[in-house]
Amino acid sequence: MSLSVNHLLGIRGLQRQDIELIFQTADQFKEVLQRPIKKVPTLRDTTIVNLFFENSTRTRISFELAEKRLGADVVNFSASGSSVSKGETLIDTVNNILSMKVDMVVMRHSATGAPHFLSKHIDVPIVNAGDGINEHPTQALLDAFSIRERLGSVTGKKVAICGDIMHSRVALSNIYCLKELGAEVTVVGPPTLIPKYMESALGVNVSYNIGEALEWCDVANVLRIQLERQNTPLFSSLREYSLSYGVNRELLDSLKKEIVIMHPGPINRGVELSSDVADSGHSIILNQVENGVAVRMAVLYLLAGKKAE
Amino acid sequence: MHILLKNVQVIAPSSSFHGQKQDILIENGTIRQIGGNISAPQAQVVTGTNLHVSTGWTDVFAHFCDPGQEYKEDLQSGIKAAAKGGYTTVLIVPNTQPALHTKPQVEYVLSRTRNSAVQVLPIGAVTKNLEGTSLAEMYEMEQAGAVAFSDGLKPIQSPGIMLKALQYVKAVNGTVIQLPDDLSISAHGLMHEGIYSTQLGMPGKPAIAEELIIQRDLELAQYSDSKLHFTGISTRRSVDLIAEAKGKGIRVTCSVTPYHLSLTDGHLVSYDTHFKVNPPLRTAEDVKALQEAVKYGVIDCFATHHLPQDWDAKQVEFEYAKNGMVGLESAFGVLRKHLPQVPLDKLIDMLSVQSRKIFNLQEHKLEEGAIANLTIFDPEEEWVFNTSDLAGRSKNSAYIGAELKGSVKGVINGQYAQL
Repeated sequence: MSLSVNHLLGIRGLQRQDIELIFQTADQFKEVLQRPIKKVPTLRDTTIVNLFFENSTRTRISFELAEKRLGADVVNFSASGSSVSKGETLIDTVNNILSMKVDMVVMRHSATGAPHFLSKHIDVPIVNAGDGINEHPTQALLDAFSIRERLGSVTGKKVAICGDIMHSRVALSNIYCLKELGAEVTVVGPPTLIPKYMESALGVNVSYNIGEALEWCDVANVLRIQLERQNTPLFSSLREYSLSYGVNRELLDSLKKEIVIMHPGPINRGVELSSDVADSGHSIILNQVENGVAVRMAVLYLLAGKKAE
Repeated sequence: MHILLKNVQVIAPSSSFHGQKQDILIENGTIRQIGGNISAPQAQVVTGTNLHVSTGWTDVFAHFCDPGQEYKEDLQSGIKAAAKGGYTTVLIVPNTQPALHTKPQVEYVLSRTRNSAVQVLPIGAVTKNLEGTSLAEMYEMEQAGAVAFSDGLKPIQSPGIMLKALQYVKAVNGTVIQLPDDLSISAHGLMHEGIYSTQLGMPGKPAIAEELIIQRDLELAQYSDSKLHFTGISTRRSVDLIAEAKGKGIRVTCSVTPYHLSLTDGHLVSYDTHFKVNPPLRTAEDVKALQEAVKYGVIDCFATHHLPQDWDAKQVEFEYAKNGMVGLESAFGVLRKHLPQVPLDKLIDMLSVQSRKIFNLQEHKLEEGAIANLTIFDPEEEWVFNTSDLAGRSKNSAYIGAELKGSVKGVINGQYAQL
């Protein structure tokens, strides 16, 4: 079994078998991560560069841990202080790094489509670690993997994705992944943060009422408000956002059922999610983080295997 | 220089030779004789299968980047591109550096392009420095040779300035050209807002950003009773709005690009920056509406929006790539290929006659004794467009490798020819 793609540019373009293969592989790596010695020599002699043209804490650490636990050699690059600040183009930066015999690229970039562009110019596998407001495929994979772990399966489950849908690459990747696996998806948030063609383009339900959406769902994936991505003001204030769309204990207690709470991090505590929810038994936020390493190990391992074919 | 065109089909409804296959002899830039079996041993002979000739074509919106960005295009390379595409006249936009907003810049363009196969006519800026805040010296530019007024690639945002501009140009019977786009809505968009932008994770430019400006400016044109030309219209609703305004007698005309008549937002699925243009590529439904609007005469003429970009401006992340594509060389082949429902006579009329009427440019004649201003073409030839077909300085065409129909064989502009 191998993946149908040479790069992981997005969930769009993956087939259900690809996602299931990644999950089965991640199951095995998750078992490895429970051992006293959490390292396997699978990617020994493979050099991976982590290109982060945009800030990241957990994604970068998660990738780095995944790479190291597979035995790969790791080089980290972040845009600040590098040649990018001197005006070097993306192709030049990457070609220079590849000249030093790098075997795989993990890239985060603020521009939508940046890894797709790169894939036309270099021939080593690329893993998209987030591009603009487009996709963040490994996040979607670890989210679905975590739902599968908690609820036994993703198929047929109802997932509400809450908050800033418009600026969220997590939302788009999650929608593609969940739909491919047969889940039902509702996006909920203020209308100014939901793209106009959401329903017809992606086959999801749209709601402007957080209470109704939570009542409907099995799982709520609460997104971070991305103030840094808003060019023009799209809601009045964080206070009003929190009052209208924040997920808090009171809201959860008002539901007639128990739901699972997820968040891709980092949390704006008290804005989209209150602390008493984030830290509660409903929350699988830290499981998501843990699973992130196993899922990323699976992706790197499968792409490396694909390249070796 | 003498030129003899052998056995060419004349497409020029105002000519007494329209529809006939004739030989045409041009002596020193003048059409000396039209008839059967002319022989002229001194002349350069142009022969070929299925040759057609019309009066020269005019493009109403091209960017020659000179002065300021001569590494993308300059006046001479732009002329080569235009001639290659069959154009004998090109109206160039004022988005140069410095902007074409005073008389000396008009004179610069005219003096540098006088003796060539293509007549280059400047569009003067409406506002100083294209800043959209105060009117440029349009009367003086008009006297120096500017043939229309526009802020070109920078659409006029303020309704107050637009109204003043429309009123101001009436004194010189001028026309204001607007590329309709409300930047308060579309500024951060990268492509048409729709199904594809949502699936591709790209910020959208909604169709309404174009349609609102059209609605607004039609009101202003009616109020001022002045002449307004929209270029690069791209949506179904834009067509409807303009058709309705024409019905009401508002003095509005419009042009469309070959790429909006042939490409859709679906082409962006690979994030290919060659498809990044403004106004953006719209839906298949919009393309169909534009094609119909050409057929039924709502759209008056074509505008290539020839916008050269150097390699570096396109070989970057989609978000950072510059808008636009070169269009002069591929225009005719694209139009013939994608507008099979439009009769050849009508297409040629739009290229050679209507585009000139809108801007009060003198009509070219295809008669004995007239100055030769001609385009020679084969309307049926099927061919594949290649980089080598681009005669200008930049290669940013989305049509590389595309199958086109209809090819240009040469142009003659008085004493000057490219054959």
